[in-house]
This record gives sequence, C-alpha cells and structure tokens, in this order.
Amino acid sequence: MTGDRAVEDLLRELAPRVLGTLARRHGQFDACEDAVQEALLAAARQWPAEGIPEQPRAWLLTVATRALVDHWRADSARRQREIAVATDPALRAHSRAEADDTLTLLFLCCHPALSAPSQLALTLRAIGGLTTAEIAAAFLVPEGTMAKRITRAKRQIQDAGARFTMPSAAEHGERLSVVLHVLYLMFNEGYTATSGPGLHRADLTAEAIRLVRLLHRLLPGESEVVGLLALMLLTDARRAARTDADGGLVPLDEQDRSRWDAAAIRDGIALLTGTLGSGPIGPYQLQAAIAAVHDEAPTAERTDWPQILALYDVLAEIAPGPLVTLSRAVAVAIVHGPRAGLAVVGTLDADERMAHSHRLEAVRGHLLERAGEPAAARAAYLKAARMTASEPEQRYLTLRAVGLPRA
Amino acid sequence: MKYMIMMFGGLGASLEGRPPEWVMGMNELMVTMDAELREAGEIIASQKLMDPSRATTVRFENGSPTPTDGPFAEIKESLAGYWIVEATEERALEIASRVVAYTEYPMEVRRIMEE
Repeated sequence: MTGDRAVEDLLRELAPRVLGTLARRHGQFDACEDAVQEALLAAARQWPAEGIPEQPRAWLLTVATRALVDHWRADSARRQREIAVATDPALRAHSRAEADDTLTLLFLCCHPALSAPSQLALTLRAIGGLTTAEIAAAFLVPEGTMAKRITRAKRQIQDAGARFTMPSAAEHGERLSVVLHVLYLMFNEGYTATSGPGLHRADLTAEAIRLVRLLHRLLPGESEVVGLLALMLLTDARRAARTDADGGLVPLDEQDRSRWDAAAIRDGIALLTGTLGSGPIGPYQLQAAIAAVHDEAPTAERTDWPQILALYDVLAEIAPGPLVTLSRAVAVAIVHGPRAGLAVVGTLDADERMAHSHRLEAVRGHLLERAGEPAAARAAYLKAARMTASEPEQRYLTLRAVGLPRA
Repeated sequence: MKYMIMMFGGLGASLEGRPPEWVMGMNELMVTMDAELREAGEIIASQKLMDPSRATTVRFENGSPTPTDGPFAEIKESLAGYWIVEATEERALEIASRVVAYTEYPMEVRRIMEE
C-alpha cells in the first residue's frame, strides 16, 4: 500500500508536466486538459491500492493519450490523421525540456482574455492538479458551477486564438506580471477569505506558495518572482496568530508573536536578502520588505515604522494605487501622528475605486480612535461593518464600534 | 419537513446602542447554535446576508426594470440571514425561540414546499 498523501503529492507534481507534453504534441489545450484529468482520476483510484508504477509520468501520459484518442474517436472520424500521429511511437521520443512546458502552460492558464476567477480556477486545475470538486470547495461554489467556469475558460482561450507557445520576448514581462497577479490573488483568496465564516482557506494559500516556488525554479533570475514568494512566506508566517480561539480577527499589533512561524520568516528574509539589488526593484519585493520589517520586530512597539514609511514612499512612487495610499496613511499616522494619517486617508474620499471597499472606513475608524474622536470613530467603524462581506471582519468592526466610549 | 428560519435585524444600524458584551454574546450564541445544528445534522443550509444598506432594489419604473440603491423593506425589518433545517415544526419553533430569547429580534419560521 502506498500512502494516499504520497500519491496525491506525486500526481499534483506530475499533472502540469504531463499536460504540458500532451498540449505541445497535440495543440488542443481543451481536449488535452480533459484527458489529463481523466488520467489523474484513474491514477488516484489505482495507485493507492496497486502501488505507484515504475514510471509514473509515462503511465499518466499513456492513459491521457488513450483518453484523448477515445475523445477524438467519439468526436469524429476526421481526426484520423491526428490519431495516427498521437499513437506513432517514433514521434514520442521527441521532447523538449519539460520545465518549458509547465511554464508555457502557466502563461496559457493566465491568459489575459480570461477573467481573474477563470484564470485562478484553470491554474489550480491545469497546474495545481486539483480536481474540479476540490476547486469548487475552495471557492465555496457548487461543483457544477465550477465545472462550467472551467469549460468556459478553456473555450475563451481557444476563441482568443491562443496557441501552446511561450509569449514573445516583447510580451514576456507583461504576461509574467499577469501570472504573478493571479498567484497573488490565489494566495489572498485563501488568506483573507472574501466571504464565508472562516478567515483562512489554508489549502489555497499553500497551493499559491507551491506554485510560486515552482515558478521560481523555472525562472530563477526573475527578482519579482522571488519577491512574491518572500511576500507570501512572510505573510503566511503570521497565520496562526491572526485569529483567536473563536475565529475572530486579531490585528497585527495585538498578535502573539511567539505563534509566528520562525522558519517561514527566516526563509522569506533569506530569499529577499538574496534578491534585493540583483534586479529592478518591484512592488512584490517592496511589499515583502515591509512584511519583513513587521516580522523582525520583537514587539509591536519596537516596529521600525520610519523604515516602513520609507518603503511605502517608494511603493507609492513605482506602483501607486488606492490600497497603497491607505497602507501608507497608517504608516504616516504612526510616524507623524493620527491627524497626519487622516489627511492622507482624506485624499481617497473622492476615489471611485474605494467607494465599495470597507477598508477606507476601517482605517479611518482606527485613526479617529487614536486621535481621540470616539463618536466619529464609531460612525466610521459601523459604516465599515456594513460594507464588508466577511463575517469575522464584520464582527471585529462591530465590536470595535460598540466598545468605544459614548460621546 | 423543511423549514426556513429567517432572522430580521441584528446587523449594522440595529446594533447601535448595544454594549459590546451583548454583541459578543449574540455572536457566541449564533456560532454555538450553528455548530450544534450542524453536528445534529439538522441544518441543510445557512447563510448570512450583507448589510441591507448595501442592497439594490430593482423595480419596474417608467416601462423598464430600474435598479435603485437601498433595500426593499425598511432596514430595521430587512432579512439578515436564514437557516434551512430538516425538522418538525415544533423543533423549528424551538430553534427560533432560543435565538429570540436572547436577541429580542423577531424571527419568521416558514415551511418549504415539497418538490
């Protein structure tokens, strides 16, 4: 008997490589992806009982190829020529580096023609090797809904005329930033579950970290890939301290730092130190550097806020955005006082992009509380509580509001 | 038999004026009851809705469907969340009573039609 866990890990490692090889040979991403899913399901059934075959990758490739051929036979006879090619042993030896295939696959799943939820779902299935049922559970939607989303995503890729090739050198940078963004969203979806009773969905964060590690192996020279990996490790390190026994949210300055994952922090800082200065500085490296300053502080009071503010100043320069402004406002408030922070928050009032976010009001509430304005703070907290879709956040904000002294 | 147990109030504006201990107590009660009902296999579905002030109502106005900001009913009377339970009517009323005893907000219990 082989452990289910070992089989699962192996399958998920092999999934993108098998799909990459198949898609390169036959081109039809849609059909290939279905065929690989079939092979993975067959392996998940057989291997735990019968043992892992000597050449697991070849086994999966054979089963997937057979499934693909079956699909074509059922599809129509006009595929005869392709079947001949698929089953010709002389053509099988042809192989390029598998790593390239996985990378090509990742770029394809994060195709700009797809919406972010579709990119996430497809990446989890094609690269992560997760089943549709697992992905549906992670996103809290019915399996049928997720199956349709994946099917639609694959059709959209086809309609966009995407081929199984790497983006051109000119496109590379832009496409890589989409890939990084998708993986970052996957991480955040798991870390701050946007809806539902639990604050974390650890499976999604773990998967995002695994995929960024994989990307880092494939593109070791890309400093923003390192930055993103460091950022995820340094953020995820605080996971255990982020909620209390009742599932309530614990803010950073009140967390029990002895519960932070020291090994993850060491890894994250080592990665970051190794990459800073080796390439152009990007937003992920900067955010990782900020997370590192927090993680290195033995207590909230001893956090090096002037350094954090300096990092936010650079971030606001190279990657401006309302959320960066909001985070910078918090740093400004701590270094220069709550009123200075509130002035920065005020610059976002007219920003359309923040009109539907509870974060602006939540930060305003905190700063008003620190400025000694309980009545205004209370109103801001309650407004934020009404705007969030996350139950733990709603509870936290409501308690914060009702806990303030009456005016 | 399936019943929908609907809770009205208990969100945003209706919490104003409650002390923090009361709000915490309500959260605890809801979490405990949800866990108990799940454990017993009585719950079929349970959902909490976002604050009604963030709702949009679509009405037929001037010959076409027109969305307007705000809930259909008054905010204080708006649906806050629901449980769908597999239970007798007696049991469904018992569940609702336990919540109302604490929150003093009304709850509505309605049988779900069979397919």
